[in-house]
Amino acid sequence: MTWWEVLVQQTINGLTRGAVFALIALGYTMVYGIIELINFAHGDVFMLGLFVSLAWFTLLGVTTTLTGWQLVTLLPLCFALTMLTTAALNVAIDRVAYRPLRRSTRLAPLITAIGVSFMLENVALLWKGPAPIAYPDVFPSFDILREWFGVDSAIFVTSKDLLVVGATLPLMLALHYFVTRTRWGKAMRATAQDRETAQAMGIDVERTILLTFFVGGALAGAAGLIQGMYYNIGQWWMGYQAGLRAFTAAVLGGIGNMAGAALGGLMIGFLSAWSDQYISARWTNAIVFSILILVLVFRPHGLMGERTPDKT
Amino acid sequence: MLGLDDVHTYYGNIRALRGVSLAVESGEIVTLIGANGAGKTTTLRTILGTVRPRRGTVTFNGHRLDTLATDRIVRLGISHSPEGRRIFPRMTVLENLELGAFARRDREAIAPDLERVFALFPRLRERVAQKGGTLSGGEQQMLAIGRALMARPTLLLLDEPSMGLSPILVDTIFQIIQDINRQGTTILLVEQNARMALRVAHRGYVMQTGRLVLHDAAGALLRSDLVRKTYLGEK
Amino acid sequence: MSPGARRALQGAALGAGLLVYPFLDRSLGLQTVHAVSDGMIYVLLALGLNIVVGYAGLLDLGYAAFFAIGAYTMGLLNSPVLGSPLYGYRWSFWVCIWLAAGVSAVLGVVIGAPTLRVRGDYLAIITLGFGEIIPVAIRNLGDITIDIGGWRPIVRLNLTGGENGVNPIGRPHLPGVPFETDPVPWYFLILVIGLASLWAMNRLRDSRLGRAWMAIREDETAADCTGVNPISTKLLAFALGASFSGFAGSVYAAKLQAITPGAFEFQVSIMLLCMVVLGGTGSLTGVILGGMLITLFDRVVLTETTSMVRSVGRATGIAALTAADLTLWRWFFFGLGLVLVMLLRPEGLAGRRARPLAAVADDTDDPAALEPAPRVETIPGWLRERAERGGVVPEAAPLLEVRGLTKRFGGVVALNEVDLVVPRGAVIGLIGPNGAGKTTFFNVVTGLIRPDGGRITFEGARLAGLRPNAIVARGIARTFQSIRLFPQMTVLDNVLVGEHCRLAATVAGAVLRPPAVIAEEARARARARELLAFVGLGGKADDAARNLPYGDQRRLEIARALATEPRLLLLDEPTAGMNPRETETLTELIGILRRELSLSVLLIEHDMAVVMGISDRITALDYGTRIAEGTPAEIKRHPRVIEAYLGAGYEQELAARTPAR
Repeated sequence: MTWWEVLVQQTINGLTRGAVFALIALGYTMVYGIIELINFAHGDVFMLGLFVSLAWFTLLGVTTTLTGWQLVTLLPLCFALTMLTTAALNVAIDRVAYRPLRRSTRLAPLITAIGVSFMLENVALLWKGPAPIAYPDVFPSFDILREWFGVDSAIFVTSKDLLVVGATLPLMLALHYFVTRTRWGKAMRATAQDRETAQAMGIDVERTILLTFFVGGALAGAAGLIQGMYYNIGQWWMGYQAGLRAFTAAVLGGIGNMAGAALGGLMIGFLSAWSDQYISARWTNAIVFSILILVLVFRPHGLMGERTPDKT
Repeated sequence: MLGLDDVHTYYGNIRALRGVSLAVESGEIVTLIGANGAGKTTTLRTILGTVRPRRGTVTFNGHRLDTLATDRIVRLGISHSPEGRRIFPRMTVLENLELGAFARRDREAIAPDLERVFALFPRLRERVAQKGGTLSGGEQQMLAIGRALMARPTLLLLDEPSMGLSPILVDTIFQIIQDINRQGTTILLVEQNARMALRVAHRGYVMQTGRLVLHDAAGALLRSDLVRKTYLGEK
Repeated sequence: MSPGARRALQGAALGAGLLVYPFLDRSLGLQTVHAVSDGMIYVLLALGLNIVVGYAGLLDLGYAAFFAIGAYTMGLLNSPVLGSPLYGYRWSFWVCIWLAAGVSAVLGVVIGAPTLRVRGDYLAIITLGFGEIIPVAIRNLGDITIDIGGWRPIVRLNLTGGENGVNPIGRPHLPGVPFETDPVPWYFLILVIGLASLWAMNRLRDSRLGRAWMAIREDETAADCTGVNPISTKLLAFALGASFSGFAGSVYAAKLQAITPGAFEFQVSIMLLCMVVLGGTGSLTGVILGGMLITLFDRVVLTETTSMVRSVGRATGIAALTAADLTLWRWFFFGLGLVLVMLLRPEGLAGRRARPLAAVADDTDDPAALEPAPRVETIPGWLRERAERGGVVPEAAPLLEVRGLTKRFGGVVALNEVDLVVPRGAVIGLIGPNGAGKTTFFNVVTGLIRPDGGRITFEGARLAGLRPNAIVARGIARTFQSIRLFPQMTVLDNVLVGEHCRLAATVAGAVLRPPAVIAEEARARARARELLAFVGLGGKADDAARNLPYGDQRRLEIARALATEPRLLLLDEPTAGMNPRETETLTELIGILRRELSLSVLLIEHDMAVVMGISDRITALDYGTRIAEGTPAEIKRHPRVIEAYLGAGYEQELAARTPAR
């Protein structure tokens, strides 16, 4: 491949990674925006999304590649089921582990979140074992450039890339519509901006928080399903790394800012793909974490966030 | 309509309200005035349920408020324009107003109420799509009051509407407050600016370090020198 | 038996047990000493983490990085495997552990420095990030090749042993003691190091530095405004906390004879955090207890329970049980433990449960509830001495001079060219409606906020750019509108923190306790008690600050401020929330301070009666601008002041409606 072909290929890889990161980052940013909690367990919800989607596929009897009408019925059904499951899981976690600590210091729920994260990872380990699990090739995979356009190129753009974009875009648009046009979405935004006043408007703050966890969990589940279908592989510890990278994305974009989370997700996606290619996959983690540290120290409000002075 | 009976509210160990008893009758404007730190905002927060009294009761049209959650209290017909305005800065004027109506069940009546608010505050109509944080102080105050009105409250709690506003705007705001009252809303007005408050109110309570020290018709308070003495610490 | 004798007996029994245990184990053939020794290493690590998390309140999620550095320093300096000149020479174990501690301490400063101005949860994430970067670096520095278009200055350099780690590693040498496979010498080595570390940590906790750490943990801003430098204090926490893991890591490396990057991952950091949290952050015995419990759980309980379950499975014929392996559940249990502790007992096993606030004594005007008012005789001699010595500037010159002070927040002008003078030995009142800028003024003078314009001169010297704790050292102390004590520290300790900037004990002094430091501490305690007696808190020195009734808390805050030996006291709404009796007492106290000590006081107050009664002069602010300055009588009648408080045109209104006299 020529150097620009490599660049384009890695950029496409970055795009698909970034889409998944963006979905996970949105969950982090929404929860942080509303209760200022870093939901450490969120990455593991993503991982369980992959595991759960696999279970749903098996339950629905899907073991081979989907065809024709199955793509239009079973696939969306599986999305819906997975997203519901992870949404419920996220809500349950909040109810049990975070809500009792609402009035406590900022650090106590963070410690609890770490505990929950470990519990979820261990559950996955026991469920499917330590080895990588094989995700069946559920989504038809073919080279678009060749088969649709008849172009013979070293660059691979597959139908799976279309899947990622095709699944992520509608989800993000739906989220955007939800928070800007619906009553409950506006309630969420209001609660994040000023909890006490929102309460004085008659908004049930706890319910709004639950809703936030629900939506965030659903997005993480979708991300897990997409991840499974794209890479055909999963492992019990993938949530930790993906979670931290997605959290970096959220912070980079501006924690609490949803457009920022999407933007940050894409950026980290590109960055990790380019780093894998041009430096070494062994260093990518260090690079991503260095970015996290730099942002937190020098520009904690990220690219799109607002500078909020800490009250003395 | 609204009654506080021997209310004692604490912040941790600090007693902020000491045995406050007051009443607001339907159709009135009652004002609660006093210097800073007197406990005026605490009184409103106690009514709204943001803080709970340790002793005493708060009743509204027969309902006990001191045991209810804030969103239930709001649904009973009380709404609030907070001290410092506290509009949602990243939401538009329209969204702020819509949120004021969040707790209402009669969603068809929201649109005409929106019109009514715009009629009271034409400047808000001009800025309907602007984000709240970009409005001027006076416009934000109008938005805060408008937002509180969108709940179609029976009782409106106004906390220091004059704070930070130029004298002309203060006059305008207080005129509007009178208009709102004439249209049928009962108002409990907390103010530091005693003169403006006593001019529009029917009755007034003067608060000092958590206690009510004076209570009379507004006109009488305005005429007496007692208010000034209380504010400026003369015995 | 007296408690002292009982404790001595308990100590002796414990000591004997520790000494006898390995030999007992050997004769009984239990073979637990290796596991116990490893457990002790982790407990030592947890104790080091306790300094950072427990004492200083900094949630470090990447502590294993220091462990790694300690282990690798020992490994690299002591292993014959790696080929560079530095490594060829076999360093002595006894030298290496100190080197490892030092390198870890340096790394502690490096990791701590970026976190200094960052919020607690972000700080945790930053330390986590470093905790991740270090193992990655270690893994990848085993095979370094730099290839720039054909130029290869470095080819396959092995700095860290890479993925395979380092082995073998040299052992300690002690004449007559074989450090080989017999676990007993290792046990005693670790025991000695552990006990020495415990001794040092104990000393640190009960020292000037230890109090500074706890003050930072409780309320960093208040600590800053009480004379504690948060930067150096936090860095010391990181450095010292890390240094202990330098010791632990080097012993670990030498004992294990092989170290790999996989032993220092995030999970290890979390396991250590579990020990600290479970045991009770800040409590040495708690952390040891937590550490032992977790090690026991991990190494013994899980395996034993697995055997039990399996035998039950075999007996009942349930296949699932016979195949069970509970050791795979360890992280689940650790996570569950963290969650349960946070939800149910956040102070840990050994921590003291936060007692619910004592039922507030009904603060009516009951004369029987009289607290002793401060009497002139009880003014601490040393305070009086310092006041009599006088300052460096001639008596007539003003103590504090503020000219043209300006501060903007975004578009809002909070302070607009404000002038204010505080003469020596005067009480100056600062009044104004809500939002007038009074607290902003205080915050600028005490260094919490930088002004946009103007100058502040104190005792003839400019205060520009000084940190809050430096300004305290110059002689300006303050109290806060909402009382900011250090709630979990004792009353006495709160006052001792106030003396921090007047004491000189260093880290070495804290641990070694030379006579000079012992004398200094004794003097400091005596002074603190005198101050407490002066403000009327004499009998409550050992109570927790948060359990004090409100009026006492205010007085404690003033005692703490006085402990910094100020010449100027800034009081922010000292009578807020007080009943008339308490207000009277406080007013008397201020009067005594001014009369007997020539202490100058700048006072923000809303209680007009108080301000008018006690001030020599009053400055009034409105919208950040000075609108009036004069004696109380002048201010009371000043038209702009009346307007600011009561509304424009109030006077005219009043005149219009009152019939002419």
